Amino acid sequence: MHIPDAFLPLSHALIYWIIAIPFILMSLKWAREELDDLKIPLLAALAAAIFAIQAMNIPIGMGTSGHMVGAAMAAIILGSPWAGVLLLTLVLIVQSFVFGDGGVTALGANILNMGIISGFVGYYTFVALKKVNLNIGVAAFAGAWLGLFISAIVCSFEMTLSGIFPLVGGLIAMGTYHAIIGVIGEGLITAVAVSAIASARPDLLPETFTGDVHNE
Amino acid sequence: MNKKTNADAKKILLAGLIIGVVISVLAPFLASSDPDGLESAAEGIVDPATFAELEESEPFMSSPMPDYSIEGFGKLGEVGAIVIGTLLMLVLGYGVGKIIKG
Repeated sequence: MHIPDAFLPLSHALIYWIIAIPFILMSLKWAREELDDLKIPLLAALAAAIFAIQAMNIPIGMGTSGHMVGAAMAAIILGSPWAGVLLLTLVLIVQSFVFGDGGVTALGANILNMGIISGFVGYYTFVALKKVNLNIGVAAFAGAWLGLFISAIVCSFEMTLSGIFPLVGGLIAMGTYHAIIGVIGEGLITAVAVSAIASARPDLLPETFTGDVHNE
Repeated sequence: MNKKTNADAKKILLAGLIIGVVISVLAPFLASSDPDGLESAAEGIVDPATFAELEESEPFMSSPMPDYSIEGFGKLGEVGAIVIGTLLMLVLGYGVGKIIKG
């Protein structure tokens, strides 16, 4: 879902930057307040793993492929949507400047879609489902899937505003492809990773996610 | 940092490194080369002339390893590019975390 430079007029790219920057600053504030001797290596390990897995495009049929975004996974594991914003900001900067994946001018829009929207929707969906006592893997799957789907819908609107996509055709194509990508590429991987950490090293996850919800 | 935290930190970094590098080495061989969701959507719904124009447009600035490849090195270059990116992310994630935390 990395938007190239050509897909956004500069004036639009600027607006998405203006929206994204306060979120990036808030993510830095989160990092200063919340990072500790375990969360710093967790952030680094997640950054490396998520970068690598983003290079693994999974075929979904219809001549199309897709890959994980990972903001929801980072937010759940580190216990804050700001973690997803910070991590995706770092990943997207490297992808855009070093590998030409996603435009440099479109970076603000890509951070907005993949770092902010998919992370926030994914994280708070997970938290809400966890509150009603849903299994941690199921909650992680649903959160990650919805996060990716909503960010694809927003991306489609942005492309319509750019004058590139027709409104309905864009929504149908982007919605269909990412609903499928979200199942394996986002939901399943997030569910497996979060469940694995919850059973092997529950102490690494925020207590509210692993403890008995009735004791909160 | 106490001993247990220190050992845990190293284990976490090592796990990130191993998972990242294993995926990086496999990705060029396993990953689908079909266009991603956004590009595929554009191909399907944008008129062919505009789409061709979009496809051919140059990025705002050129990058050292475009499309996760190193020119002239084929699949090996792709593995190298993604491994370099993965290592860069590990260093950047750790460095930014340490610097912000102060």
